[in-house]
Amino acid sequence: MLYLGEKITVFDGGFGSELERRGIFCQTPEDLNIENAEAVKSIHRAYSCADVATANTFGLNPIKYRGKYSLREVALRAVENARVSKKPVLFDVGPTGAMLEPVGKLGFEEAYEAFKTVAEISRDIADGYILETFSDIYELKAAILAFKENSTLPVFATATFDASGRTLTGSTPEIVANTVSGLGADALGVNCSLGPKELLPIVKRLLDATSLPVIVQPNRGLPEIENGRTVYRLGAEEFEYYIGKMVEMGVSAVGGCCGTTPEFIERIAKFSGQSVKKREHIAAAAVNSANRLCVIDGVKICGERLNPTGKKALKEALINGDLDYLADEAIKQQEAGADILDINAGLPQIDEKALMPKIIKRVQEYCDLPLQIDSSNAEAIEAAARVCNGIPLINSVNGDDEVMARIFPIAKKYGAVVLGLAMDKNGVPETAEKRVEIAKRIIKRAAEFGIPKHRIIIDTLVVTASAEQRLVKETLSALEAVSRLGVKTALGVSNVSFGLLNRPLLNRTFLTMALERGLNMPIMNPLDGEMTGAVKAFALLSGLDENAEDYIETYKDFSPSAAQTLKKEKGERTADTLFDCVKAGLKNRAGQFAEEELKIREPLEVVNEVLIKALDEVGRLYEQGKLFLPQLISSAEAAKAAFKVVSEKLGSRAEPKGKVVLATVRGDVHDIGKNIVKVVIESYGWKTIDLGKDVSTEEVVKAVAENDPDAVGLSALMTTTVPSMEATIKALREAGCRAKIFVGGAVLNPETAARIGADYYTKDALEMAKKLDEVRGKN
Amino acid sequence: MNFSDLKPQIYNYLGFRGVGESETTDRLIFESLGELEKIAQFNYIYRLLDSPPDFLKKEPYASYLSGARGVIVSAMTLGLGVDRRIKSLSRSDMTKAAVLDACASAYLEARSDEFEKTLGDDLGYRFCPGYGGSSVEDLNYIFELLRPEKIGISLGESNFMTPAKSMAGIIAVGKKAEKSCENCFMAKNCRFLEEGGRCYTWEKK
Repeated sequence: MLYLGEKITVFDGGFGSELERRGIFCQTPEDLNIENAEAVKSIHRAYSCADVATANTFGLNPIKYRGKYSLREVALRAVENARVSKKPVLFDVGPTGAMLEPVGKLGFEEAYEAFKTVAEISRDIADGYILETFSDIYELKAAILAFKENSTLPVFATATFDASGRTLTGSTPEIVANTVSGLGADALGVNCSLGPKELLPIVKRLLDATSLPVIVQPNRGLPEIENGRTVYRLGAEEFEYYIGKMVEMGVSAVGGCCGTTPEFIERIAKFSGQSVKKREHIAAAAVNSANRLCVIDGVKICGERLNPTGKKALKEALINGDLDYLADEAIKQQEAGADILDINAGLPQIDEKALMPKIIKRVQEYCDLPLQIDSSNAEAIEAAARVCNGIPLINSVNGDDEVMARIFPIAKKYGAVVLGLAMDKNGVPETAEKRVEIAKRIIKRAAEFGIPKHRIIIDTLVVTASAEQRLVKETLSALEAVSRLGVKTALGVSNVSFGLLNRPLLNRTFLTMALERGLNMPIMNPLDGEMTGAVKAFALLSGLDENAEDYIETYKDFSPSAAQTLKKEKGERTADTLFDCVKAGLKNRAGQFAEEELKIREPLEVVNEVLIKALDEVGRLYEQGKLFLPQLISSAEAAKAAFKVVSEKLGSRAEPKGKVVLATVRGDVHDIGKNIVKVVIESYGWKTIDLGKDVSTEEVVKAVAENDPDAVGLSALMTTTVPSMEATIKALREAGCRAKIFVGGAVLNPETAARIGADYYTKDALEMAKKLDEVRGKN
Repeated sequence: MNFSDLKPQIYNYLGFRGVGESETTDRLIFESLGELEKIAQFNYIYRLLDSPPDFLKKEPYASYLSGARGVIVSAMTLGLGVDRRIKSLSRSDMTKAAVLDACASAYLEARSDEFEKTLGDDLGYRFCPGYGGSSVEDLNYIFELLRPEKIGISLGESNFMTPAKSMAGIIAVGKKAEKSCENCFMAKNCRFLEEGGRCYTWEKK
């Protein structure tokens, strides 16, 4: 079995660039394995100074490969060719070349299936896998799972970084390391990207972030352009020098990528067999999304607002499958300063296993935070952990052996950090000592499943002070004792005040007490400014927030008077009334002004005399060119916020004027204009059903049939997508759509609109809002 | 990069028509540009060719390149992070989303201009397919030639690029040229022209 980590292993060098150097050009290099096997073999022979050979199979997957032969046939011949080196053969696996959802169209499961196919055709002939040049950790996750689940061969995974030190999808070396290590690959590293000199800092960061062996296969320096061709100029000697540095730093395997030739590999072959330098890396309770790493240490806020317990609106949204509501809640918590988000869909009427992955996908589409999967259903946890882009936290296990036996294997497989509750089937023990005993049991059992202590968080469980006042201090004593065991700690803070008056005061005070005793992850409402404020203040006072940087950033605009008066906020215009507030576009204060206004006017009067008049005024100024787009949108947003408050008083009289289905048509991904239209027409009292961008004809027709709207608004921004708009209109007409069809977007004009069969062309959001009112007046 | 230099063009994208500068918007613009400095992952890929490839031998490229010593074919992007941020803001703060979107367009132009200064001092402007009566379908040739996938740009079926804040085009070498609205397919219905402005500059002509 090919094993990295004790002795330096030398990999081979560039293959594609070597073919080119030898004057062999080919659309599908994998086909050369069959059509010009001798050329392929001769490169493998030239690289036989390396300890392993990499088969010529980089693009050989069902999504990317467009050659003439069957995948299996090419795989067989490629490995056979590589065998001439008489070295262990790694099957080379590159990305599919397609972008994964939500940016692209390739589903996570489809990517998995593609790599599974690769595993099936190669597992009996190769000696291991080298996954190379990956940019997207989501795709890399699909690949690692596919090879781990469908073969027993070692899996090495390397990613590509740009000069900014991130992959092209924005992941840092630490994020790549945490993800790949968590998923159980046998080694990780970096290939291609840059030259060896430029890779040094990235290699250092990878070495610090993982205990796995690290592989480095740099390009031959940075490419230069000469007569329109890419050339690499770095000398073999300099290449060897930097590889030597990396060996000193502690890498386990070295090789070359684009531009390197057998000469380069011969040079670095001298490192082969040297002992790998022992190194320390930081063992941490780290969770991550594609773009954010959260090390649970110091204090990190876990947002609790996506847990339906006691939240009526969220319950309804979950039952109705309104995932956009969840996305909005997620964004709000991120903006309020949460570090991790708890996701819980535990309602009796819900199929958690089916819904959880959908929630995870929707939330990670809009929100960058790492996620905490909160469920007692093992199947739901696994389904969620699988589609989570990155490494999640799993909430939770407890001291019950059966629960641990169900959950730990899932946590191990997906690399999750695990939250353990200091209780078992007998319930929550009264004393701190007994809770600590359970924590120890959890830690011991986790280790048996291969989950180290540093990836465990213990919740010592908050009891309500109203029922069990004397036990509050037991929770805190247990917390302190558990911290000393070398694990991190969590508490669902606000449970403490249940059933008591002035709950925020108790929550805040208890939070501060717990932080002082070593609480690392309060699970709380990040939108509660007093609570997040207490965390920020604690971080400053305890020295966690060095130089008070975070605190100052958070409160830089703070002034005591702004907290007390509605009138002035830094950089904003002043407002004395709701009318002014909407006109000035002060969205965050419109609700308060609306409440003030409701004290002196009837709700309907607030709508007709204040909101509508303010919007009319803004509209007039916009048309005259005295206000421009940002002001129009912020007024619309302010009016919407005010209307939300007023509508609670209006009850059934708050019915919208009508419904409008909105979509950016198939093939078009520009949706900023459509989103502006949505905000503005909503402020005019219309309910919108927003289908998003790149929406197929069928989806539009279906939504119109289901919602029976008064109007359909279609947007297209490119000349190439106008035909798609035309097809959508035609299909709507054929389906007997009675709604008026509005079109807009940069490439349209009244003539084109008429030609493709639309009812109305409107040049901007405001014109559409007015036209909608006009059409409504006629009917 | 001097943010103040970008402001007039951002105002231009946001439909500013000469009166009513807004302090709130200015604050949003500076905030957005500051955020872009952090989240944008600017990447640029190019090839310098001595003679134009076949697809550039037709109009309007031929006229643009006539007298040029060579041509740079290039593609550039701000990366997916910017798209993600605009998308997320579109749900929580549409005003900021619209401002960030406009800022990102101006920022990409500015970063690209900055980069191109390192390629030579006798270059024309970036001429992108879709401009001056050319077809956006020509992006396919550029993609074949450059493989901008290497810097994370992909081309969709109707010739849109992902990330959205990406550009691809050509630059004449050894020939100065001025942008104009001649042959632009938008000219008949252009909101910038209607106001006496241009999409590519905030200076009124």
